[in-house]
Amino acid sequence: MKEKLDKLTENLDYTLLFAVVLLSFYGLLVLYSSTRLAATEGSDPYFFVKRQSLWALSGFLFLTIIIFIDYHNLERYSKVIYLGAIILLIMVIFAGRSTYGARRWLAIGPFDFQPSEFAKIALIAFLADFLSKNKQKLDNFFYYLLPFAYTGLLILLVFMQPDLGTSLVYLAILIIMLFAVGVKIKYLVFTFFAALSSVPALWIFLKDYQKNRLILFLNPNLDPLGGGYNVIQSRIAIGSGGFLGNGIFSGLQSQLNFLPAQHTDFIFSVVGEELGFVGTILLLGLYTIILWRGIKIALEARDLLGSLLAAGAVSFLFFHIVVNIGMAMGMLPATGLPLPFLSYGGSFMISNLIVIGILLNVELHKIKW
Amino acid sequence: MRESSTVPEDVKQRLNWLLIFVVICFSVLVISLWYLQMIKGEEFKERAVENCIRSLVEDAPRGRIYDRQEELLVTNRPAVVVSIIPAEVNDLEKLSERLSRIIGISPEEIALTVKNYRENPFKPVKILDDCKTNKIVEIEERKDELKGVVLEVKPRRDYLYHDFAAHSLGYVGEIDKEELQRFGNPKFQGGDIIGKAGLEKYYDDILRGEKGGKEVEVDALGQEVATLLYQKPIPGEDLVLTIDRDLQLYGENLLFDKKGSIVVSNPNSGEILALVNRPSFSPNLFANGISSSDWQRLSSDADYPLTNRSVQGLYSPGSIFKVVTAIAALEEGVTDRKRKIYCSGSFELAGQVFTCWKETGHGSLSIVDGIAHSCNIYFYTLGKELEIERYNKYMQKFGLGEKTGIDLPAEAIGTIPSAQWKKREVKEIWFPGDTINLSIGQGYLLLTPLQVHTIICAIAADGEIYKLHLVKKIISADGKTVKEIKPEVYKDVGISINTFYIVKEGLRQTILKGTGWRANIKELAVAGKTGTAQNPQGETHAWFIGFAPYENPEVCITVFLENGGEGGEAAAPMARAMLEKYFNIKN
Repeated sequence: MKEKLDKLTENLDYTLLFAVVLLSFYGLLVLYSSTRLAATEGSDPYFFVKRQSLWALSGFLFLTIIIFIDYHNLERYSKVIYLGAIILLIMVIFAGRSTYGARRWLAIGPFDFQPSEFAKIALIAFLADFLSKNKQKLDNFFYYLLPFAYTGLLILLVFMQPDLGTSLVYLAILIIMLFAVGVKIKYLVFTFFAALSSVPALWIFLKDYQKNRLILFLNPNLDPLGGGYNVIQSRIAIGSGGFLGNGIFSGLQSQLNFLPAQHTDFIFSVVGEELGFVGTILLLGLYTIILWRGIKIALEARDLLGSLLAAGAVSFLFFHIVVNIGMAMGMLPATGLPLPFLSYGGSFMISNLIVIGILLNVELHKIKW
Repeated sequence: MRESSTVPEDVKQRLNWLLIFVVICFSVLVISLWYLQMIKGEEFKERAVENCIRSLVEDAPRGRIYDRQEELLVTNRPAVVVSIIPAEVNDLEKLSERLSRIIGISPEEIALTVKNYRENPFKPVKILDDCKTNKIVEIEERKDELKGVVLEVKPRRDYLYHDFAAHSLGYVGEIDKEELQRFGNPKFQGGDIIGKAGLEKYYDDILRGEKGGKEVEVDALGQEVATLLYQKPIPGEDLVLTIDRDLQLYGENLLFDKKGSIVVSNPNSGEILALVNRPSFSPNLFANGISSSDWQRLSSDADYPLTNRSVQGLYSPGSIFKVVTAIAALEEGVTDRKRKIYCSGSFELAGQVFTCWKETGHGSLSIVDGIAHSCNIYFYTLGKELEIERYNKYMQKFGLGEKTGIDLPAEAIGTIPSAQWKKREVKEIWFPGDTINLSIGQGYLLLTPLQVHTIICAIAADGEIYKLHLVKKIISADGKTVKEIKPEVYKDVGISINTFYIVKEGLRQTILKGTGWRANIKELAVAGKTGTAQNPQGETHAWFIGFAPYENPEVCITVFLENGGEGGEAAAPMARAMLEKYFNIKN
């Protein structure tokens, strides 16, 4: 054990860890600013911050545990993890708690958690194992389609909740991991066009609110008070921050509740308004460090399994960051994806830290212990 | 220790491509942030401020109106307006249905009103004006299921006695486009309440006061968070009228189901004590915008309840006008106290026969008897001898054909026929027969009851016509007198005292033994003249003008009944009743 700890302290990626810790504190500060005046949850201005801190601590606990388990165990357990995710998602459909017309939560004791978050990690683990074992066979087009089937099952299950954003995350993880494992580019291009041509068919399956979101993304001014309202207010908030921002706790839009979901999906707007260009660039800088270290870990991993695990972890964080910030600026449709380490939410916070744990694990085990 | 990595080279290559892709995506984000925050920053900052700074107008309380004893006539009361804030509504259909059950407006109408309003979604949309108390209570009780419904209190003009003196008081209403343009004043904004008629219009500047306002910071729900700037509204000033509430009410009851008007004033000051017009209307209907059905009903009523008859109605004065003929003839030396004229019942001029109302004739009459019995033949004779030019001079002296200058808007000037007038308007020359008609107040002559009233005022005050007015003083909201309206001699008719003496004697005899006997009061010396005017509209108009006491006139009265029959029969008893009321004589 002593030996293991020595190796751990010696080989840990401190840059990555430091960036994550810094980001978590940054997130708590912004979360405090955006929720301290929310009167709905009683009078405690720290209500949200306290809960989020608790999630972050639990997340770091998970992270620590994960570091110690050699990722090569996945070679045996990846199918079990995948199956577990499927079972949980089915349970959500039958026993989940619903909010805003979507059934996304499972109650475990006093806590609610979102199985779809953990399914993201399960998918990364399962695909890393599957793709690393079958890299050569993927040259066969029909074999190439197999991971789509596995991922498709998960997508189908979250789509029934319904949760369009999360199903897109699964798809993004799959595509980036397929790209990383080196499948033929022409297959990916073919898949892209096949998907594009099936959009009209898929349109039928979208719920009305999802259709509206896509329409409003194309023209938010169509309904400035309804669905397009969020995006317009968010752009105003970010833009009005200017270079230095209005100062923390001083955003007009943020503090006066003009931003809906400002502590969850639209928390980036609070950063933009209160901390300005400096604040948003600082945030993007921290994300850049994490993604850069992540890709570096993938490049230097001991084997393909580790490399793909790291690539999957990077794809998960990357997709969330780009889609969330793009949405806040009105460049991408509002899909309701949270921003890693900043958005309020227990399951998401924990899954973010588990993903970091995976990266650190791969980094630690690039040498044989 | 480090074993060489077994990650295939093609995977590493792909991972490098992934890194490049991440860098490209982040660069796009950075550039967009640069554009949004650095280039467009100022513009968005303004929009953020606009988002949460609202300028709110605080209306000044409109001045109140009192009668001469400072009894309150018109005030403001809080009215509750039911509105919906569109941004707070989750399910408009459901909400409309629930609200409809309480306030009784159809759910479709409620939903449509909200949908059609496309401005600021945080601004309340008016659904129901002046909500009844029991409905307010119900809305308050069900607040939870009526999210988005707000109750706002707004001042509303309250005319305490409804149709009391409606034509004088006038009414208020929302400023219209044309008025906004005409006044072209930054003081006015769309939606402002201004005086539209009567005293409300004439004294609008005094009653309206000055709007205040504040700039407030609001949150996303439009709730005020902080006040940044505040300017207190300056309340409008109050009017104290010359009108006596009790006398006015008494007159209105006298005319209750009739068409016409009664004017009572003090000949020595011009103060109007009662200005009755019937039929009437309730200015409360207009207070915050009249409904189209009410407007339809009032404006299409054949009896013209909206018309201020005493100021805007034009009528033949009939025999009332004989006093003017008498004055002109006396002044021009056409007749004197002693001259007698024989009435056979008819009069012939250039082959045309004019008759007296008494077919058998009055016999030989002096001017005093001529007035008292209202003998047509007597005045035909005077008219014929006067001729139109000399006659016209006296009409001008009395200010007929001009506004009386009363403090009400839209006063009519009437028609004073002359040779030139006839040539211009009728394209005919003046015939002597026209003068004959004019001498008994018929023909082309048209006067307002108020103009007729100035004639009797001038006689009562021996030639001084005081400007008729309705406002006695203006007081500030805190009760200080701002301005006292002093009696003002509007015109001195320049007629000898002897002439007035003779005419007054005639007027006194009218009451004692002539056509005005029904206005006789034992305890009070009344002088007056009746009139029965033929008109193309049908039944004759009944007139009575008079003053009392005879020796030292305190009060002048004009009674006019549109198509009301005979002056002596219909108008004189009303004058008598009014005078009894004024002098507090019981019988």
